[in-house]
Amino acid sequence: MFEAPLPLLKPALYARGERTPVLLGGRCACGHIFFPMQTFGCERCGKFGEALQPMPLRGHGRLRAAATVHVHADEKRPTPFTVGTIALDDGPIIRTLLLDAPPDDAAPGTEVEAVFVEVDTADGSKALDLRFRPVKQ
Amino acid sequence: MSKLLRELRPVYVVGIGWHRYQNPSDTSYVTLGLTAIRAALADARIEWPVVESTYIGTALLGMAAGRAMLKHLGASGKPLVHIENASASGSAAFRHACIEVASGISDVVLAVGCDKRNPVVRGFTRTGIDNLADDAIVPFTHFALLTNEYATRHRVKPEDIALVAVKNHGNGAKNPNAQRQKARTLEEVLGGKPISGTLTALQCCPVGEGAAAVIVASADAIRRYGIDSSRAIRVASSAAASERPGSASDADATLTRETIQRALHEAQITANDLDVLEIHDAFTIEELLYTEAAGLCPDGAAVHALKAGEFHIGGRCAVSASGGLIAMGHPIGPTGIGQIAEITLQLRREAGPRQQPNARTGLAHMVGLGSVCYAHVLQRDS
Ligand SMILES: [Zn+2]
Repeated sequence: MFEAPLPLLKPALYARGERTPVLLGGRCACGHIFFPMQTFGCERCGKFGEALQPMPLRGHGRLRAAATVHVHADEKRPTPFTVGTIALDDGPIIRTLLLDAPPDDAAPGTEVEAVFVEVDTADGSKALDLRFRPVKQ
Repeated sequence: MSKLLRELRPVYVVGIGWHRYQNPSDTSYVTLGLTAIRAALADARIEWPVVESTYIGTALLGMAAGRAMLKHLGASGKPLVHIENASASGSAAFRHACIEVASGISDVVLAVGCDKRNPVVRGFTRTGIDNLADDAIVPFTHFALLTNEYATRHRVKPEDIALVAVKNHGNGAKNPNAQRQKARTLEEVLGGKPISGTLTALQCCPVGEGAAAVIVASADAIRRYGIDSSRAIRVASSAAASERPGSASDADATLTRETIQRALHEAQITANDLDVLEIHDAFTIEELLYTEAAGLCPDGAAVHALKAGEFHIGGRCAVSASGGLIAMGHPIGPTGIGQIAEITLQLRREAGPRQQPNARTGLAHMVGLGSVCYAHVLQRDS
């Protein structure tokens, strides 16, 4: 029986890639690379509209910091969970959820990659959302 | 050509007052605000009708809260405006009050910060641009990430960073307007409830309620109304800025470095001249980042300076002598104005048990979500 692949939770932000998911960023005519894609205007030079073009960013980078959260008011995110600051290979620095608390040796500088995980959506169905995890050596 | 505040006519802080910062209660915001304003008027020994204009720093009260409060002072018909600039709302209100006096438009202006803890919609979540998981990264988690980054870069331990809270709770214990007035040991700080990363509850500022008021005046007004000029403190500079694109993870420190440098330069002093510094220490890591950014010590050296007592009352520069946001509290609108009032108290040598000896020059610094940044230098004449 054919099983349809799960939809992406935030398809405006990421897509399936060849090896790892890609992040849907953008590039300005001035060279500035940003995430996520938008056409309101470039943060560096102010150009807007067609000067800003989509640019898929590799779901790969280096961990700059991590923190495991113990208290969080929003019950939709039960604690503990771990977030990280990630410098993507393509330039932008992003902050998002890590798959697991990094082991003690996953210090800042660790190579990390994007992965999809199955999550529950607001209407009770399943979807894929993005997480980062240390690259297995 | 544009001018600095210092190049306009001199502005002095002539009156200060607070309603104690406290846990959320049934007290009306009107009572909070009026208590601080009446204290500031009494401190300056002037009457309400003398005040020509009011700037109200508030982020959480909702639309048009101000006149419903001010009218109980006797509705004077004078202009008022609300200023919302996140955590820096009070600092922004103070800056614009100073500009109004410095420009010559008014002689006596009130800046008052007043807030109660209320649910708030952060405007930047409504841009229409989605995000990966920003809802998971509330302010204390943002600073937990910065703590991890700093700790790794400079090889400091959680117990080193927690020393900031020990100092500031000790200062808050001497401040009758502080929300937290209890000295804490390092064991108590570290053993408290874990919040995010290595941050524990006593390393995070409490957001409660309260009010702070500051009256600024020209030299003309000081003469005209017989205000005690020996208790008037000069506003030596005012600097404000907002974040630029760059390294997202040290944006607040970079912004702080640039803004404080501008404020010091305008006041024609260096960081070494600062006797007191009220800083945006909403979380312990911020005091380390910003004392370094202010130029009080080299990058990575703040823990060493802290351990040596340089930032304690009686040290080289008393940092957060009020208790700072960590102990005095962070009711949002009042916070930046309360910093100005604390520095005024210190420079008048009226700070009692938390007096920094011979304090002559002080700087107030705030960061607001976004980020925006303010720095004001205050200086006594002799
Ligand atoms: Zn550009």
